[in-house]
Amino acid sequence: MIRTPLRPLASILSARDKGENPDLIEAANIRQRMEARRDRDRQRAEIRLLVLALSFLAAFAVVGLRMGIMSASRPQEPKTERVARDILAQRADILDRNGAVLATNLVTNALYAQPPMMVDKPAAARGLAAIFPDMNADRLLAEFQSSRKFIWLRRKLSPEQQQKVYDIGEPGLLFGPREMRLYPNGRLAAQILGGTSFGRQGVKSAEIIGIAGVEHSFDRFLRDPANGGAPLRLSIDLTVQAVTRRVLAGGRKLLRAKGAAAVLMDAHTGEVVSMVSLPDFDPNKRPAPRAKGDPTDDPLFNLAAQGVFELGSVFKVFNAALALERGVATPQTMIDTKGPLKWAGFTIKDFHNLGPRLSLTDVIVESSNIGSANLARKIGVAPQQAFLKKLGLLKAVPLQLAEARQARPILPKRWSDLSAMTIAYGHGLAVSPLHLAAAYASVLNGGTRVTPTLLKVTTPPKPGPRVVSEKTSQALRKMLREVVLRGTASMGDVPGYDVGGKTGTANKPKPGGGYYQDRTVSTFASIFPARDPKYVLVVTLDEPVETSGPKPRRTAGWTAVPVAAEIIRRVAPLLGLRPAIDPAGTMEYTLSKY
Amino acid sequence: MSYLVHNYKAVPSGWRKILYLNWPLILLIVAVSMIGFLMLYSVAGGSIHPWVAPQVKRFGVGFVVMLMVAFVPIWFWRNIAGLAYFISLVLLIGVALFGQVGMGAQRWIDLGPIRIQPSELMKIALVMALAAYYDWLDISKVSRPLWVFLPVLMILVPMALVLKQPDLGTALLLALGGGAVMFMAGVSWIYFAVALAAGGGLVATVMLSRGTSWQLLKDYQFKRIDIFLNPALDPLGAGYHITQSKIALGSGGWAGRGYMQGTQSRLNFLPEKQTDFIFTTLAEELGFVGGASLLLLYILIVAFILMSAYNNRDRFGALLTLGIGMTFFLFFAVNMAMVMGLAPVVGVPLPLVSYGGTAMLVLLIGFGLVQSAHIHRPRRT
Repeated sequence: MIRTPLRPLASILSARDKGENPDLIEAANIRQRMEARRDRDRQRAEIRLLVLALSFLAAFAVVGLRMGIMSASRPQEPKTERVARDILAQRADILDRNGAVLATNLVTNALYAQPPMMVDKPAAARGLAAIFPDMNADRLLAEFQSSRKFIWLRRKLSPEQQQKVYDIGEPGLLFGPREMRLYPNGRLAAQILGGTSFGRQGVKSAEIIGIAGVEHSFDRFLRDPANGGAPLRLSIDLTVQAVTRRVLAGGRKLLRAKGAAAVLMDAHTGEVVSMVSLPDFDPNKRPAPRAKGDPTDDPLFNLAAQGVFELGSVFKVFNAALALERGVATPQTMIDTKGPLKWAGFTIKDFHNLGPRLSLTDVIVESSNIGSANLARKIGVAPQQAFLKKLGLLKAVPLQLAEARQARPILPKRWSDLSAMTIAYGHGLAVSPLHLAAAYASVLNGGTRVTPTLLKVTTPPKPGPRVVSEKTSQALRKMLREVVLRGTASMGDVPGYDVGGKTGTANKPKPGGGYYQDRTVSTFASIFPARDPKYVLVVTLDEPVETSGPKPRRTAGWTAVPVAAEIIRRVAPLLGLRPAIDPAGTMEYTLSKY
Repeated sequence: MSYLVHNYKAVPSGWRKILYLNWPLILLIVAVSMIGFLMLYSVAGGSIHPWVAPQVKRFGVGFVVMLMVAFVPIWFWRNIAGLAYFISLVLLIGVALFGQVGMGAQRWIDLGPIRIQPSELMKIALVMALAAYYDWLDISKVSRPLWVFLPVLMILVPMALVLKQPDLGTALLLALGGGAVMFMAGVSWIYFAVALAAGGGLVATVMLSRGTSWQLLKDYQFKRIDIFLNPALDPLGAGYHITQSKIALGSGGWAGRGYMQGTQSRLNFLPEKQTDFIFTTLAEELGFVGGASLLLLYILIVAFILMSAYNNRDRFGALLTLGIGMTFFLFFAVNMAMVMGLAPVVGVPLPLVSYGGTAMLVLLIGFGLVQSAHIHRPRRT
C-alpha cells in the first residue's frame, strides 16, 4: 500500500507560487498511481501468462518427443513370458506289458508361408487352392501380398499333400516338422490312454501335452528328455484288452445296456491287465466333452474307474469275510433269514423267500439280503467301517489315472446300524468297479491288500498288509465257487478254469430319491481259478435287460454273469492259464473226438 | 463494467460481429474436426457409418451453437456465470442420486429427449464462475485466505462429485482448469506450492491406502496405476490399451502405413478405437508426420487462445479465455499422454477428433465463449 499523502503540501505550495491549479496535481497524482498499479498487475499477469505458455510448450514438446521416439521404434508384440526352453518335440511311446505299441509319434509337416521369400505369389495361391479345396486363391493372394512376413497355412499335411506343395516349386512355402500322437489300436484302450493336444507351437516343432488318461498322468515322464526316450510300459495286455472289449461290446449290444465296464486285474500284483469302458471313442480323434446330458454317458467317461455305483450283493462277500474273521460265524453257522426284516422303519426283503434260516455259505450262494443284514447287525458298525476302510473302499483308488483319483466313493452321511445292514448287501455305499476288483483281489488272494496299478510290475512286489487270514480267504473262495456251481451265477462256469464269483444287482437310484424298479446295475465279480486265484474280473453292465424269457430279466445272473464267463473263456488261455481238466473227462473228450 | 461505459461504441454490434470473430481459431477448429471425420471414416473401414455421419451432424449443430454463443455479449455470460455453475452443480448432484449407470460409471442424466453428462457442462461452468468471481473480486484481496478458500471450495465440490461417479479424468480436468484460472487471476504462489504439496501428500496417502480397509480408490484404478507403471504386467488385460497403441504408433513409423491401411485398428486390436484411442489410428496410418501435424494444429489453437487472452483487457474475458484454453489443452494433453503411455488410462477423449457428442458440444460452446470474449473485448478509442 502506498502511504504517501494524497496532497503533498510542498508541491501544492510550489504550484500556487507558480500560479497553477493544485487540483490538477492531485488528479495527476491519482492517475500516476493507478497507472503504476495497473502496470504492476499487468506485468504480473504477463509473467504468469508466460509461465503458463511455457508449461504448455513443455507439455507439447514432451508429447511430440514421445511421439517421435515411439514412431522410430520397431513395433514389438508383447510377450507375457519368455519361452525359457525350446519346445520339446520328442514324446515317449506307450507300450503294453508285452511291448506292443499303444501310443507313438508320427512325423508330419505343417505348412507356412513367408511372403517376402516368394517368387510367384499368384501361382502359389492358385496351386495351394488346387491342393486344398477349402482354401481360396484370391484370399490367399491378398494375404501373400500384404506386408505380413509369416503366415500359417496348415497345421498337418499328409505326405501326398506335402509332395504336391513341393511340386508348386515355390521357395516361400515352407514346412515345419510336426509330431503327431498316433494310437495305432484305435479305440482299444481309449479311456486308459486318454489323449493329447498341441501346446505351444513353433516353426520347428509343436509341443504335445497329455490332457487325459495316462497321457496326462505320466505327461511329465513322457516329455522328460532325461529318460532318453524310454517308453512307458503299462500293465495292460493289448490282446486281452482286445478280447475283453470285443466280448463286452457284444454283451452290451445283446443286453441293450447303456454302458458297460470290465476290469481284469492280477489278483496278487494289482496290475490292471485289461480295463474297458463302453461306450468309448477313438483317441486319434478325441471328441470334445459333451456339454449336455448325463456326464456318465459321455464316451470320454471311464465307467470302470470313474463310475461309482451301488453295486449290490457283491458286497456280501465282504460281510461274510468280516464275520468269519471276527469269529461271529463259520461257513456252517445258521443265519436267520426269516423275512421280511423290519428295522427302523425300513424293510429288507430277499429276491424270493429263502426259508427261515440258511448257513453262511448259503447266504452267499442264495444271496440273502436278510441273512447278510442280520450278520452285519451282529458285527456292528465300527468293525464294518474299519474293514471297508482297510480294503480301500472308502477312498478313491490311487491308480495312476487322474480320472480314477477323482472318483471318490459315496458314503452314507451317518453310518447308522441301518447303514451297516444295507451296506452288508451292497446298498448305501457307492464305489467303482475298479474299487471292487481291488477289494476282491485283496480278500481272495490269500488275504493281503492289493493296490491297483497301471504300470507293469517287473519284480514281484512285497505282499501288502494283511486284511483277512489265509483261512478266511480260503473259505470265501470256496463259497464263491459254490455260487457258480449251484447258486445265482450258474451261467458263470467255464470248464477247466474253476470260476468263482458273486453276483450283484442293484436298482439304480432316482435323481430325486427312491429307486427305479426297471433300471439296474448288474455286476459279476469273479475270480479264476477259484482254488488259487490268479485274476479278478469285474463286469458291470449299466441298465441291461435280457428278453429271451417271458419277462424281461435284469439280474446279474442273466446279464453280467454270461458276459463275464465268455470273457474268461476267451482270455484265460491268453493269460497263460492251462485248463484243469479232469483226466477221465480228457480221455472221453479225446476219444469221442477222434 | 466501467470500461463498457467508455468503450461501448468500440464494440462491434449486429452482423458486423462476424467480421470481428477470431477467424484463424475457427479455421483451426474446423481443420482439426475434419481430421477427426477422416479418421472416423477410416476406423469404420471406409464408411460414414456408424460414426462419421452423427459426428458431422453434431459438429454442425455445435458450430451453430458456437456462433450463437459468440454473438451474445460477454457481459451476459458473466452475469449468468454463477447461475450456470449452480445449475451444473445441481445436475451433478442429481446424477449422483438418480443418474444412469453406463460402462461401470454413473455419469448420465436423462432429460426426456436428451441425455447429458453434467460433468462435461461443469468443465465450462466452473471456469466461467471462477472468472466471474475474480472479475468481481477486488484485485488487492485475491491472495487473502478467505477469498482463496471460496474458489477452492468451488473447485473441490464438483470435483468430489465427479470422482464419486467415478471419473478420474474429468476430476483432473476440473482441478487443473480451475487451478489455472486461479493462477492467472494472480493468487499468490504460496497457495500453489501448498496445493502441490498437499496433492503429493494425497497421492502418497492414496497409494498407502491400498489393500487396507479404508482404500480410497477402486481396485481397477489401482490396477490402472500399476499397469501404467509397468504395462508388461498384463499385456493382454489391463495393459492392452497402452501396449497396443504403442505397437500401432511404432508400426506407423515416419510416414505411416497410408490412409485406411492401418491394421492395428482395422483388425480390432485396439479398444475404443473411435473414441479415446483414435490418435493411435492416426499415428499408424499417417505416421509421425501426421501425428506431428495434428500436434501443430493443437499448438496453434492453444496459441491463438493465449494471444486472444493476452490482448483482452477485460478481466473476465481474459480469465475465461485462459480457463477454456487450459481445459482444451488438458483434454489434449491427458489424452495424448494416456495414448502414448505417459499417463494412466483415465478416459479422456481427444478434443474435436474423438467420436462423442457431449465433449464436442462442450468444446464448441467453450470456443463460442472465447469468441464472445474476443469480439466484445474493450478497445482503446
